[in-house]
Amino acid sequence: MWEIGLPLRFAVNLPEHPTDSELAEECKKGNLRAYERLYELHSARMKSLAFHLVGNRADAEDTVQETFLKVYRAVGGFAGGSSLSTWIYRILINCCYDSLRKQQRLAERPAPRELRSDTKLPLKLALERALAMLNERQRLVFLMFEVEGLKHSEIAAILEVPEGTSRSWLFEAKRELKRMLTESGT
Amino acid sequence: MKFECGDLERALAVSELMPEAREHLKQCANCRREYRLWNEISATGRQLHEGWDSPDLWPNIRKLLEAEPKPKSDSAWWSEWTIWAVAAAVLIGIGLLLLPRLQQAIQTPEERIAHTGGKTDRDFLTEQALEDVQRTEAAYRRSIDKLSQLAEPKLADRGSALAANYKEKLLLLDSAISDTRSNLDHNRFNVRLQTELADLYREKQQTLQELLTRDQKN
Repeated sequence: MWEIGLPLRFAVNLPEHPTDSELAEECKKGNLRAYERLYELHSARMKSLAFHLVGNRADAEDTVQETFLKVYRAVGGFAGGSSLSTWIYRILINCCYDSLRKQQRLAERPAPRELRSDTKLPLKLALERALAMLNERQRLVFLMFEVEGLKHSEIAAILEVPEGTSRSWLFEAKRELKRMLTESGT
Repeated sequence: MKFECGDLERALAVSELMPEAREHLKQCANCRREYRLWNEISATGRQLHEGWDSPDLWPNIRKLLEAEPKPKSDSAWWSEWTIWAVAAAVLIGIGLLLLPRLQQAIQTPEERIAHTGGKTDRDFLTEQALEDVQRTEAAYRRSIDKLSQLAEPKLADRGSALAANYKEKLLLLDSAISDTRSNLDHNRFNVRLQTELADLYREKQQTLQELLTRDQKN
């Protein structure tokens, strides 16, 4: 059968609830509807996770945009060893670190984190500040599990570590946060 | 085992210890406070999710994706590589097929007489050269058959006028190849017929190659 390279604006419709592998296949064909579905499914979490990693909404949005571009360019090589969503979060995290490096090059120090508008609750504010002081792996696992509600199996696949390691990093993160919050008298 | 205040942290990591920890929490206000803070960290963590509207984000992403070339899969790369490999083999085949004729063209008349055992007719090949030609022709035919196999799915598209045109051209070429081969069976040493056959194969190879690479260029 002829393989016709349709322009993206003629994107083909998807099944109502496409599976992860169906989405991956459609993404490989360049079906823009598949990318839109991915956006609908994951953009809220992606933006929030990026916000906590890069520190402001504008950079978080740029990072999500960059992630979709990278996914589009690299999806041909996606072998399906992990789920498509897992792969996307891995790309997102790498894009966040790239963005942070760019920020640091520009400012020669980390950009000040944008404070949330609703930080009236002391514990929330204290937790945000304590989170910023955690080491990278503990912070990532805490953000993905407690803040964004990902499962340990998903986090383990994203970070390419055993599930037990993800659990153990979360425990360390919470223990460290508890210590910092207790010391700060919250 | 008697549960002590210092065991609370271990109980939080190992869920099997939680029943004993709960018994201890009933009596220890300090541990209750620690345990409450532990749970509050999780509960407050959920409130840290940052949500905001980004009405322009998806339209921007869409525009960027539309400007990108179509994603290239590894299998497409492999298919392209295969086509080029087969095409290279076909070209080598053509070279080998034409080599005896070239050698004959550069021979002096004396050499030609010596090789043909006295026959000076330029249109006739020696037995040895004919064997070479037949061997290379067979290899060349196999290479073209491989190209034909690769092209089969594209030619099977009944709805495509382009596929129908290619199919018709290939049928004509196959028919001409078959006629020429049949003539050669009666006149095995005829150089002109051998050259015609080589030209027909080359035409078929180019047609197949054009068909296979057409949608990659588009």
